[in-house]
Amino acid sequence: MGYLTRFVVLILLSSVGYADTASLSESQDASDQAGIKKEAQTLKPGDMVPDFTMAATNGFGQRLQEARGSFLMLIWLGNCDECSERLVRYQLLAESLSMDGLKGWFVWTPKGDDEPPKMRLPVLKFDSYWPQSWVFEDQPAIMLINADGRLDHLITGDLNDNYRETEQVLMRWMARGLDGQMTE
Amino acid sequence: MKHLLICALLVSGTVFAEDAAIREDVRTVKESVLELNRDLYELERELLSPATTRAAFHVTLNHGEFFEPLSIELSVDGDMELQHLYTERQVKALRMGAVQPLGDLNLAPGKHDVTVVVRGINHLGQGRELSITETVTKTGKPLITELVIIDREELQSARVQLKYW
Repeated sequence: MGYLTRFVVLILLSSVGYADTASLSESQDASDQAGIKKEAQTLKPGDMVPDFTMAATNGFGQRLQEARGSFLMLIWLGNCDECSERLVRYQLLAESLSMDGLKGWFVWTPKGDDEPPKMRLPVLKFDSYWPQSWVFEDQPAIMLINADGRLDHLITGDLNDNYRETEQVLMRWMARGLDGQMTE
Repeated sequence: MKHLLICALLVSGTVFAEDAAIREDVRTVKESVLELNRDLYELERELLSPATTRAAFHVTLNHGEFFEPLSIELSVDGDMELQHLYTERQVKALRMGAVQPLGDLNLAPGKHDVTVVVRGINHLGQGRELSITETVTKTGKPLITELVIIDREELQSARVQLKYW
């Protein structure tokens, strides 16, 4: 390709890129002014779950991308104060399937002086201060995310009410997933 | 029959020659695209982060026996610029000698106050915070720095230090 042509293409592309960057920064400024730091998102089964990293109240932070290759049960608690007791069943469920490749994470959103649940599994703390964090709109909810990072099942509503359904769906989902892994 | 065979050979030879020419053209085009991509990348880097304002920050962990980072925040002249949350795997990589590119900033030539706060846990599992504030001088050349988290064996603690490359 001739030098002149390349030069013209570079100039054109750089000006387009500059315009894009300017418009992006303008929209970012507008959202910052409106006080919207992190918008809650909705997802439906079949959607890819966006990558995130969140700090944990009981150890290292967790990144979704690092859980690829495992089954992941993500339990969105919303804001709850010392709600360890009602999460124990979920913790035992996740631990009982950990040998089969299931990971379980709780996601807690602090409010006021609320204390986080004290669990053995990671309790991630949603905080919009961290740019890598991500929040799901419809909480409480349970997400079953497959090894590719895709949302396979979504169960929303009260965690106590939904325990039985979660247990059944989880067992079927894991069995199908493990069957799939064995036939591959 | 003999003439027919010769004709067929000639035609196939021509086709092969044309194929080779097309393949050569495709290769040339691919090379040009790669070259253009490289030029675009360099131009983008120049536009977004020219040498006169480029400031790059990296993080390393020296031993990490007495301190494991959970998060790092870097502010320049009081403005929060870079933040990162660590996972266990990332800390393991740092322990093994990985160099983490924390991020690139655009800093105007002159003096700037850089503040770094690293939160983490010590060898007893207790929360610890390491911080440093240093005045850096940005010249017309790129500023490339390394934030080193170093163990202090005598105090069974750690500190963070800013090094210039």
